[in-house]
Amino acid sequence: MNNTIVNRYQVTLLPIALEHQPLLRRWRNGPDIKECMFSNETISEAQQLTWFERVKERENQWHWIVSYKGLFIGSTNIKATEEGASVHESPELEAGLYIGEGRYKNNILAFAPTLAMYDYCFEQFNTQHFKARVKATNSAAIHYNQKLGYKTIRTEKQGSVLEMLLTYNDYQNSTKMLKQFLSRSSKK
Amino acid sequence: MENKEKLTKAFTESLGIEPQLVTDELTYNTIPQWDSTAHMVLIAELENVFDVMLDTDDIIDLSSVAQAKIILQKYDDNIEFA
Repeated sequence: MNNTIVNRYQVTLLPIALEHQPLLRRWRNGPDIKECMFSNETISEAQQLTWFERVKERENQWHWIVSYKGLFIGSTNIKATEEGASVHESPELEAGLYIGEGRYKNNILAFAPTLAMYDYCFEQFNTQHFKARVKATNSAAIHYNQKLGYKTIRTEKQGSVLEMLLTYNDYQNSTKMLKQFLSRSSKK
Repeated sequence: MENKEKLTKAFTESLGIEPQLVTDELTYNTIPQWDSTAHMVLIAELENVFDVMLDTDDIIDLSSVAQAKIILQKYDDNIEFA
């Protein structure tokens, strides 16, 4: 069960709770986020609550809502890819992120939740690398992942899906400057 | 060199774009050249040219040429872009 609050790079990652579900659902059903998902059906209120009940105590996936200066701006998550392993144990994690708050979608702040979460996983868990599966049409996500140090390792489904991998070294080498800029003093 | 010219030069050199593209309306991530990497190069260049050190809030808020002018003026009253 995710009880972990992560506070770095100006953002706070809070474990998702029941009261966050309407907002998460609204973001998830927004056209720009929906079209990037592998399942782009519209999520009903009942489906959202069923999903929350299913995942809230799981150890193989953790979900956070992202807060910046007291405003919820998006959601992030990790999933263990190894069968039966928790997020702590799995050497490979799959990560997800979406920024729901419009003004931060095209903003360097969009890197902060990912940096906070990846740092935490590499430091506290057995994480050796991250894997991402991205629709080939989702150029924003591909570009974003490349900036973090991800490399495309193969394509699936006739090239419609890219599988990308991020090692610790590639992550560290690619994000030095980003971390530096997002770690300076802040007015709060 | 006037501040406006210095600002334009910082944008053209950091983003690798033509000076005529540097208008107040130019916004982060709306052209391929102004991505996150270029944004960091731009911040470093603006800090160097205008001799300021931006805090993280301003690095986050500096998402357009217009915003860049407002933010730089906060750090130094003598910086004008008329």
